[in-house]
Amino acid sequence: MNHRGSFGRRDTTPFSVVMVKVRRLGQRVLVATGAVAVLGSCATNAPQDTWQPKGPNAKMIDDLQQPVFAVAGIIGIIVSVVITYAMWRYRDRGQPIPEQTHGKPALEITLTVIPALILAVVGVFTFRVIFDLARTDDTELVINVTGQQWWWEYDYPVQNEWGITQPIISSGQLVMPAGTKVLLRETSRDVIHSYWIPALNGKRDAVPGRIHTLRLEADEPGIYAGQCTEFCGLSHANMRMEAVALSKEDFAKWIANQQAAYRAPAEGTLAKEGESVFLNQCVRCHQVDGLKRPDGTLAIAAPDENVWSGAAPNLTKLMTRNTFAGAMFDLLRDACRDDVWKAKSAEFGAKYLAGVDETCLNVNDLRAWLRNAPEVKPMYANPALLADTNGKYRGMPNLGLSESDIDKLVAYLLTLK
Amino acid sequence: MFKVGSKLFLGLTGFSTLTLVAYLVFVERLALGGVALSMVLAALVGLSAVIIMINDGDSEVQPRDAALVRASMWPLVTVAGFVLLVLGLVVAKVYFIFGIVVVLAALTEWLVQAWSESASDDAAHNESARRRLLHPIEFPVIATLGLGVVIFAFSRIMLAISKSAGAVAFIVLASLVLLVGAIFALRPALKTTLVSGICVVGAVGIVAGGIAGQGVGLRADLVEALEEGHYTHRECGEEKSKYFDKKAMKTLSLRTNPIAVVELRDGVLSAVMTGFNDPQKSVSVPRGNAVTFIFRNFDTAERRMVASLGTAMAVDTNTEGDKEGHSDTNETCTQLIPQGAEQALTIVYSKPSIAQEAPLTLTVPGVEGQAIEVVVP
Ligand code: HEC
Ligand SMILES: [Cu+2]
Repeated sequence: MNHRGSFGRRDTTPFSVVMVKVRRLGQRVLVATGAVAVLGSCATNAPQDTWQPKGPNAKMIDDLQQPVFAVAGIIGIIVSVVITYAMWRYRDRGQPIPEQTHGKPALEITLTVIPALILAVVGVFTFRVIFDLARTDDTELVINVTGQQWWWEYDYPVQNEWGITQPIISSGQLVMPAGTKVLLRETSRDVIHSYWIPALNGKRDAVPGRIHTLRLEADEPGIYAGQCTEFCGLSHANMRMEAVALSKEDFAKWIANQQAAYRAPAEGTLAKEGESVFLNQCVRCHQVDGLKRPDGTLAIAAPDENVWSGAAPNLTKLMTRNTFAGAMFDLLRDACRDDVWKAKSAEFGAKYLAGVDETCLNVNDLRAWLRNAPEVKPMYANPALLADTNGKYRGMPNLGLSESDIDKLVAYLLTLK
Repeated sequence: MFKVGSKLFLGLTGFSTLTLVAYLVFVERLALGGVALSMVLAALVGLSAVIIMINDGDSEVQPRDAALVRASMWPLVTVAGFVLLVLGLVVAKVYFIFGIVVVLAALTEWLVQAWSESASDDAAHNESARRRLLHPIEFPVIATLGLGVVIFAFSRIMLAISKSAGAVAFIVLASLVLLVGAIFALRPALKTTLVSGICVVGAVGIVAGGIAGQGVGLRADLVEALEEGHYTHRECGEEKSKYFDKKAMKTLSLRTNPIAVVELRDGVLSAVMTGFNDPQKSVSVPRGNAVTFIFRNFDTAERRMVASLGTAMAVDTNTEGDKEGHSDTNETCTQLIPQGAEQALTIVYSKPSIAQEAPLTLTVPGVEGQAIEVVVP
């Protein structure tokens, strides 16, 4: 743009020189802000961008919103231009008030009919998409999703055609096969939450006592981020989730591993000591399927007696996921995480299935969590303030563990994969 | 600067501030009453400000003519209200709230009366001004209170006498009302004192009956019902229970989306769930969360669905909370329902399947070899 025409005037008084400078500065600031806003909205690395559909359901929504956005945008621009023109053209220059008329039926009817037609056309397509997105009869895989303050639980009902012969339970990351019509059956254990993976579909509320369904399908293997989108209390902003799409072969491997029996750590290792700390401190809330007490009985967690929602994440296969605490923290160090997130579709599956090992473990965040969870994620977990919930926690409390107990626990948690 | 109006409103503001503080300190914090009182306070502050700003509308207060001032009972009632209020702080919240109501009502009456007495030099006009202002409030309030007392008393009678006597009492009373009403309508010339006399006698009779009924107490079957819990008569066999509730069938609420609809059709039990195209033999249920099953009977015989709750379920012995309420035995069931009917069953499974000795199931007594497995991960 060339601003010289308007700002290059010669003027000798110091005051007007200052004014010109100020105006120039103002204009630059405006242009810069505008540019930042425009470029910001084009960010390529925006995992929750609604304009980048990565599956057929999201594509359907996108195919609807793009033309509607274009039509609405064009109309919006025309209206603004006409109004601005009219304001400028007929501004008060002391001219006499023009002749006043009342009503122009032909014009008014036209101006009503045109928008009505546009809306009717948009409506027809919108309804079609709404009904297509509500279909459940073409489902290939069902996954139950249960929301609670402030994390998501996933469980996979028995489906022999996928090799799921016993219940699989996980949290934070939803693992699903790519190119497959997955149906989520959503509910909640406490308040209303809402499940949203922008790249895969719209939002769907998870309501206590009700089962709501949401279709998900990812074209390619990869990780698709999302977050709870119904305000659900203190840590709503930290209630995130990721959908992980794997190729069908990789998904089968994942399923097989999730159903593999528990392997207790070898005697005499740090991890074995960690197991007994876990039995003392953690098992009252967290289930690890197959974990036995020293007397040989199965350790059964009792989150229903300790946690307000009645559940705490099942940790049986903790290290097969890449995040924890409602996907708020990564279980992988930054470099390892980038390696997985930025992997090409073809290599992604193998990298994800590798899980978390000692070299890649984001040990700082995990230790901070075990040291004092409510300090790193806001939760109602102060034992003195639980009158409203009959003494039950909402979130994980500070357990006052010693650093050596934390060492042992980390060693033990690393074996859970 | 402060004239009658502004003094009044400032006084009321001060009073409501005191009540609010007292309420928050003595009764409870962050409760509805506190919110309501804060609203009153805010409104009064606003009104006081307006009144002071407009200087009471510049109205001249007329010197009060002693002859126009009548004796008033409202100061007395106000004091009684205050006593109740203070008593309430010590004894119980109800008295406190009742005290507030009495004080506010008495102050309003007092206020309007005082205002009307200085309205003009004509006592009759003053009285009619008072009535015009207050009757539209007084009449409905007094009528509601009076009718409320009569209705409450009548309900006490109905709760005390047996079901059949209750029906008779209702018919007799209704016929009496109709009869008396008809007489009044046919004889418009009847004296008002006679009409109101009859009404008062009727009302007093009902109230007396109510007091007597309260003394007698609830009839036996209601006492029994009060003592029983929701799960007292949980007879989950094939037989029909004495407590069979026919009205519980086919209710609309059954349509809210359940975790699964369990159907009994041609001797086969299957679970129908959205997302699964074929009927299923197992249902995955989130642990520790209330889930609702619907049982639909297509069999010609009357059937019920029974849910086994497993051994590990007995851990929850807290019947106080009554979240599940089935801590004594390890099964629960719907009622017997005829062909085409359906019933809902809401259950919380607080322990996972791995904690159970035998699989958790849904079965129908009398239908052999059919079960839906409930999987709790
Ligand atoms: C009083 C119950 C309670 C106890 C005891 C408890 N936790 Fe937790 N824990 C929770 C809850 C609730 C969450 C979910 C918090 C969230 O994400 O908002 C959680 C989350 C976690 C997570 C993240 C899991 C995931 O998949 O997101 C880990 C790891 C964890 N806890 C480890 C432990 C360990 C190790 C111990 C024992 C030292 C322990 N917890 C004791 C309640 C508990
Ligand atoms: Cu939420």
